[in-house]
Amino acid sequence: MSPRTSPRTSPRTTPRRSPRALPRLLAGLALALALTATAGACSTVDNSVGGTGEQFDRTDTRPAEPGTLRVLASSELADMAPVLEDARRATGVTVRATYAGTLDAVEQIASGRAEKEYDAVWLSSNDYLRLRPDTSARITNETPVMTSPVALGIRPAALARLGWDPAKVTWPQLHRAVAAGELTYGMTDPKRSNSGFSALVSVASGLSGAQSALRDEDVRKATPKLREFFTGQKLTSGSSGWLATAYGRRTDVDALVNYESVLLSTPGELTVIRPADGVVTADYPLTLLTAAPAAAKDSAQRLTTYLRTPEAQRRITATTLRRPVVAGVDPSPRLDRGLRRELPFPGSRSVADGLLDAYDNTLRRPSRTVYVLDTSGSMGGERLDRLKAALTELTADFRDREEVTLMPFGSAVKTGEVRTYTVDPEDPGKARDAIRADAGKLTASGGTAIYSSVTEAYRSLGASPRDTFTSVVLMTDGENTDGAGAPDFDAFFRALPAEQQRTPVFPILFGDSDRTELAHIADLTGGKLFDATKGSLNGAFEEIRGYQ
Amino acid sequence: MGFREHSARVRRILGIVLAVLLLGGVAAVLVTGGEKDKGTASKTVRGVIGSEKSEFFADPDVVKALAAKGLTVSTETSGSWDMEQLPLQGYDFAFPSSKGPADELRAKAPDKAVAAPLRPFYSPLVVVAHSSAARVLAGNGLATLGARGTSGILRMDAYLDAVRADRSWQQLKGADKHAELSGTLFITSTDPVASNSGALYLAAASYVADGGRVADGKAAVGRTAPLLRKLTQVQGAQQTGSDAPFRDFVSGVGNPLVLVYESQVASQLLAGRPMGDLVVLYPDTTVNSDHTLVPLTEDGKELGRLLAEDPELRRLAVRHGFRPQGAAPEFTEATNQYGEYLNQTLTGVRQAPVPTGTVLRDMARRARDQGGTA
Repeated sequence: MSPRTSPRTSPRTTPRRSPRALPRLLAGLALALALTATAGACSTVDNSVGGTGEQFDRTDTRPAEPGTLRVLASSELADMAPVLEDARRATGVTVRATYAGTLDAVEQIASGRAEKEYDAVWLSSNDYLRLRPDTSARITNETPVMTSPVALGIRPAALARLGWDPAKVTWPQLHRAVAAGELTYGMTDPKRSNSGFSALVSVASGLSGAQSALRDEDVRKATPKLREFFTGQKLTSGSSGWLATAYGRRTDVDALVNYESVLLSTPGELTVIRPADGVVTADYPLTLLTAAPAAAKDSAQRLTTYLRTPEAQRRITATTLRRPVVAGVDPSPRLDRGLRRELPFPGSRSVADGLLDAYDNTLRRPSRTVYVLDTSGSMGGERLDRLKAALTELTADFRDREEVTLMPFGSAVKTGEVRTYTVDPEDPGKARDAIRADAGKLTASGGTAIYSSVTEAYRSLGASPRDTFTSVVLMTDGENTDGAGAPDFDAFFRALPAEQQRTPVFPILFGDSDRTELAHIADLTGGKLFDATKGSLNGAFEEIRGYQ
Repeated sequence: MGFREHSARVRRILGIVLAVLLLGGVAAVLVTGGEKDKGTASKTVRGVIGSEKSEFFADPDVVKALAAKGLTVSTETSGSWDMEQLPLQGYDFAFPSSKGPADELRAKAPDKAVAAPLRPFYSPLVVVAHSSAARVLAGNGLATLGARGTSGILRMDAYLDAVRADRSWQQLKGADKHAELSGTLFITSTDPVASNSGALYLAAASYVADGGRVADGKAAVGRTAPLLRKLTQVQGAQQTGSDAPFRDFVSGVGNPLVLVYESQVASQLLAGRPMGDLVVLYPDTTVNSDHTLVPLTEDGKELGRLLAEDPELRRLAVRHGFRPQGAAPEFTEATNQYGEYLNQTLTGVRQAPVPTGTVLRDMARRARDQGGTA
């Protein structure tokens, strides 16, 4: 292939001193240093989409070191690390991965931003990407590496209660169980994650009875059943990593919708149901960006050639529980080999976007969110301007039927300024305009009463419980100075009824806020910490939308 | 010990020296290729190819055979019809999977004389199926199977009738025993606007549907457009290369019937890979994919000539399932033991002529186009 052989690919280094030994040794050392540095920068703990901080930190546009491939990848591919380590040893190609949700990655590719920072993209599927004609010239060399269907993982106890044979369950059966209140589940946000979107396509196909690719009328026809099906969705998430963590805390959720590989790797035993009437399967195409430099393209070719060897395919299926794409390599014994109908992915953007829009504004349970916003004295000036700008930008993202409360605080909640809005599907602009106008009126004054204000948010939500995805967003630029302390809040939270303890707080690090303090609130309430100190506040608000 | 005892200035200098040494080491390795270099000077030839040829060019023996002729070939893949959209500067050749896109690429090439296309090998389009699906097709008059049931003929007129009637698997006798056989009966093909095999599939279908006539313009395209739309729209999203749907098939996922090049199957067989319950169906009217190399530079032209003429490279093309142009005893000999899957002499298979690039594009666009009634 390439005449260039990375020093790492020649395993036999004789002790005999050749004229090239020193440079080779030093080059190896330099590469080793580079590897260590990038490994540190890119490891994620919970393989979540974006994760904390790193997603907003998009300043790295340096070209890669020789033999390094910069890859924008789906979050669940973090489990490929051992396989990629083998690949590095065999080919000398190091993968430097940055994780993102599928639809975010598609936007980055379409806008041309991706090609400034990456050489390749590796998403669970390119199906959604292909619906964007503006991306076709930007990508090349799509090489599927492995497959995994989107499936339902159910607790064995729930399966026993329902009395199902997992090999025979169909989408209409799942729908009936949910409608009867016998089945609840969590899935990722279809607008951010391909597993959520694939699940949406599967269930819409299954419940509309569509015999071929979904059309707008199929979605319309299935709407009443879909709405019933989504009453059973008790957990939403912007990333599969957090979904699994949140599921671990919730005994009232029976099942998870995700890739078969992720379900089988989730701690706690889950029985995988691939619905007998059809699934949507991800095929993980490693895809080059057309603009990548020639050296990176050569690296990618070495890597994909390696990943398609029987040896690598065996390792992939054993380690990650995905299905091999090379004849003669058997899938892991943990994977059921019965064939399934493949439900076609929509062939037009109007159908795909129509489905996403229906999910957000009609099908899913509405969201209910309290924004607890620090408007203490320290927020004065530029910080307050940034908050106002971020809120203004966020208003376009509020969904039909969503209830939004703005709760500004200083030394205590500024009760006179607390406002609640509901986005009316008949006139969604009205609530959005009002939120924008009120956000513009925020003023900075007083101290920072974090715990008292969050306590107040829980109280106001608890006063009128509703069947919604309920959450609290906490934005603060400083440490707690007024009102209740952390122990008071812990005691308050633990005394809440079980139903209310399921409301997570999503704190945002901003300005001089205290990471330990905010991380504790996220841990206690089952939320997730977002970091806006390195990047934009808009970015953090936007990412949190996936969890609401 | 160490840096601690030196002044900051010395430490900085040492740091710089070390950094330069490290970088120098990397550069030396890159320039010299790390190991002892082979004696012959090697020219790097860069090209864009259809995905079904990527394993051929990645084969170490192909790399070696080309290196023996002084060439290092570096490739990236693209849908054949998408190649035209790529910026072609920096490439030495483009290697789409049929004549149509090759003609368009030639028209775009800076030097038309250099760009005279070469056709080193070809491969007919076939349909792969799992045995359950193939048996149901045969049981309903849509296909005939050979004695061992591992290869057969797909009856295109019967298949197109079924498509016109929106036939589903559930309506076919014997399908109820197989959960995966449900939904509309269709063959998965690639996006005809982007990819060659998808476009050739439409060419074959339109030829059959229009009573054995090659589409020659708007009127002919209009006659078969509703059927071709149906063949395409039921599939939903389509891939842009024939490798991906074939990999899905191998992986045990995807649609039961997938259109691929014979070469994709033959290469697996020739590599000794067990193919499970694979059945290869040859459409009774099919289209050959003429893998056509368009040179963009003299080096590209040299590569095309070698692929067509060099005995070793012809033998290696067969290893990857291609049928070399002209009399090709190489293919027959090599595939003798796989006769149960492969129709070596293409008995009972008629070649549909391919419309011109312009007509084929029009056909593909009208089939893919959204809106209106499907």
